[in-house]
Amino acid sequence: MSDRADGRRDDPGAERGASTAPVEGRHGGPQIGRRHVLRLLGLGALSVAPLPVLPTLLRAAVDIDEPPRPQADAARTADGRIRQWTMIIDLRSCDGCQSVDKPPRCTAACIEGHFAPEPMEWIEIFEGELPGGGTQFIPTPCQHCQNPPCVNVCPVAATFSTPEGTVLIDQDRCIGCRICMAACPYDRRFFNWGNAPVPPESLLADYSPEHQIPVRKGTVMKCDFCPDMARAGTLPYCVQACPQRAIYYGDLEEDIATNGKVLVSASRFLTENHAYQLKEELGTKPRVYYIPGHGAAAGRDAFTPGRQPTEWPWVERVEGAVTWQR
Amino acid sequence: MNLITRRAAWAAIVFLAVGASAVALAGPAFASHVSVRTTVPAEMTVGDTVRIPVALSAADGAPLQGATVVFYLHASFAGVVGEAEIGRAVTDETGAAALPYRPRLAGQHEIRIEYVTPGQGAVEEVSTVFDVIGGEQLYRSAPGIDIPGLNVGLLIAVVAAVWTILFGVALLLVAIARAGGEGGAPGGGEAG
Amino acid sequence: MAALSAWQERLEETALAPVRRTGLRYWALVAFLLAVIGWGVYAYSIQLRDGLIVTGMRDRISWGLYIATFVFFIGISHAGTLISAILRVSQARWRTPVTRMAEFITVVALVCGASFVIIDLGRPDRVLNVFVYGRWQSPIIWDVLAITTYLTASITYLFVPMIPDLALFRDRLSGRTSRWRGWLYRAVAIGWVGNVAQRRSLGTAIGVLMILIIPIAVSVHTVVSWVFAMTLRVPWNSALFGAFFVAGAIFSGIAMLIIVMAILRRAYSLQEYVTEKHFVYLGYLMAAFAGIMIYANISELITHGYKMEEGVEFQFRQLFLTQFGPLFWFYLLGGLVAPIVLALLPRTRNVPGMVLAAGLVTTAMWIERYIIVVSGLRVPLMPYEPASYAPTWVEWSMLAAGLALFALLITIFTKVFPIIAVWEVAEDHEAMLARPDIARPAALKTPELAEGAGR
Repeated sequence: MSDRADGRRDDPGAERGASTAPVEGRHGGPQIGRRHVLRLLGLGALSVAPLPVLPTLLRAAVDIDEPPRPQADAARTADGRIRQWTMIIDLRSCDGCQSVDKPPRCTAACIEGHFAPEPMEWIEIFEGELPGGGTQFIPTPCQHCQNPPCVNVCPVAATFSTPEGTVLIDQDRCIGCRICMAACPYDRRFFNWGNAPVPPESLLADYSPEHQIPVRKGTVMKCDFCPDMARAGTLPYCVQACPQRAIYYGDLEEDIATNGKVLVSASRFLTENHAYQLKEELGTKPRVYYIPGHGAAAGRDAFTPGRQPTEWPWVERVEGAVTWQR
Repeated sequence: MNLITRRAAWAAIVFLAVGASAVALAGPAFASHVSVRTTVPAEMTVGDTVRIPVALSAADGAPLQGATVVFYLHASFAGVVGEAEIGRAVTDETGAAALPYRPRLAGQHEIRIEYVTPGQGAVEEVSTVFDVIGGEQLYRSAPGIDIPGLNVGLLIAVVAAVWTILFGVALLLVAIARAGGEGGAPGGGEAG
Repeated sequence: MAALSAWQERLEETALAPVRRTGLRYWALVAFLLAVIGWGVYAYSIQLRDGLIVTGMRDRISWGLYIATFVFFIGISHAGTLISAILRVSQARWRTPVTRMAEFITVVALVCGASFVIIDLGRPDRVLNVFVYGRWQSPIIWDVLAITTYLTASITYLFVPMIPDLALFRDRLSGRTSRWRGWLYRAVAIGWVGNVAQRRSLGTAIGVLMILIIPIAVSVHTVVSWVFAMTLRVPWNSALFGAFFVAGAIFSGIAMLIIVMAILRRAYSLQEYVTEKHFVYLGYLMAAFAGIMIYANISELITHGYKMEEGVEFQFRQLFLTQFGPLFWFYLLGGLVAPIVLALLPRTRNVPGMVLAAGLVTTAMWIERYIIVVSGLRVPLMPYEPASYAPTWVEWSMLAAGLALFALLITIFTKVFPIIAVWEVAEDHEAMLARPDIARPAALKTPELAEGAGR
């Protein structure tokens, strides 16, 4: 490398009569010697060494408070162990609310309880095809994975895992890059593309990642397993609302679950009914389990497709709200 | 009239006798007792597996084989109070059965063991109560990327190395600037 | 000797000419580009006011034109790496006249590319969170690290070999140009006088940079591809993405270089230095990379298509037949096959032919980025009807503004900085003249001819 520069050095300069500085040999010249190079490298290394603590330094310098995260008061069992929330959805009982002839009640309760903006269905009833031709309804909340692709890719840790195993979003930190939406394999994350259609009273709440209101434009939202309610010992909106009591909410630590009426041992319920998870082969380790079925326990014949479309019952919406197609 | 009543009464008595003998023949199932002998240790810890033994015997003391007993745990969760089924066991030829049970909550456990007579629906049950201690977390949620040994350090090392070299180049530029001030008359303005 | 000085004189005049004279066409072009950029600024203000709902992106297809253009520009930025660094390392002399333009393109493309990520953010007011709360495990942070490193290295790599030429400008333009220009050249020439010590430092610096910038550039587009490949989407979940993207980047970089070369050559009369040979050689390189891209595409398509896993059939159908069929076939035929054909046919192995090929490739590569982003997101994850995406006027305006910014920055660069590496071309020329035993290509054996033509 330097050879080329040296090789070209002489001719043009000599031709034009440029006087050259006294050459003191190839090394140890007045410019860069080996010792100098080592010193340079050392200084350079020192200058970039603080790089890993740079974020912390920046935070301290700008005097930014860590946003309040619900870590300290994790939900606990009676003997002080941290709860590990889980959901078991018994598809033998889910008929897409065909029998009550209404839009699915779980989705409706979640929307009303959380003031979910208009096109968002944090728990969404998909209708999957069965081998042989019939359909089954699959209520799909956020799967709250134990190896969550969304948490893994978030650049600012705006989406994070709690000690209870749930995945939450801090809408005060989210920059709206949407890589989490690309990463989620279950289509369970929703973006506030504009001024979200929500009722004005939702703007009065104190913000917390545990209930995600007031809505922040340009951030991501999703099902949060109703952590504030669960910690207080109430069941999530979807669990309470299901007329067939198909959704069980439970704690893997205490190994118990309930659908609001019946108590079950979670491990036994899952094993004896051959529960499965969505897209298990992807390795996301979801906390939502499904017991195979098609609503037969609710009297549904598998060959009657269709459910009512979801509705957002807001009478009043905030100013400037515009809804969008998902 | 006397004849009719007497015949009716006689029919009834015969019927009852037949019924009683039928019942008597079916006797053992109807008249079994479920008894629990518990050798549960005095101190159980959450997460340990214990065996809850149960023995079934008929009214005459003979062991009842092949009977299914169901175990229920009294629990309360999210405002729902009730019983959760924690297992079933089938008695062997000695009339004994045991359920492996793993307590998941410290405190008092109330287990109800139930035997439903097949075909008759009569329920025999017995309860047992024992205490469990302990508080170690069984589930730990550990999400996130964690490559043991390397993790973030390697990335930082590579980035630091590259920026150090760039910094070195910057210092070379400083050297060039400084060399312009000292030594060497400008070569006719030509850069070549 | 006289011929040599005349040749040298002509070279320097050519390099200085853009700075000395500025015609009406230049100002007209600048005005037009500024207007396009202004329209883009207006469109962005609408987006800031109303949110990303003004774009065509929605929950199911949550990335679109912005991210495609970001990847496209970062890909273009590999022009400089290939020409300046790889060819410099392999000591391919013919590249010397075009290195400066390639390095311009690199720096400008990186700036444009990075701005498209910011434009795509839902909360650009929180972009500093990336530095304050950054997570090292996130592909976006890897992007930030790689692109800032590459930008710094590229600016350095543009600047360092330019120092002797800036000194030329400083010396030849002193007193004959505006004061700020004089000050500028004096400042950036950092006291270059051409003495031995300076030359040695310059040689070391260039040597270090040209080796360093190659792995940096490879890492940049690899981590950009990992933004997609670190997700579980069926069309993106491929180990091949890193290499595939780097090959595509160099491919599109060469194409953009050919286009910029053709334009600047015509505008500033560089025909003597940037000859048909350069276009043909770059055309060959482009054809070679088209071959590599064909191989990469075949690898991806065959390994997925043979097995037809869940989702792959949908992807193939939308790529080859329905939704993206026309775009994808244009990319395959116009972007991958055509450059090879054009480079191999003697009739098109000339400047117009290569420029046509480059235009096809540039368009096809933008289309390919667009297809990767949108078709990847369109494959349904759960049982629902696949969504559709169409960019809105806001997105098209931003794309136009991005391209206009790219063109504008290069235009301004040519008016301020030397567009040809004068000292390197001169050295190459002298080296070649000093070796009469080597057959010289037609363009360079004509000091007499050029004199005769009289400039």
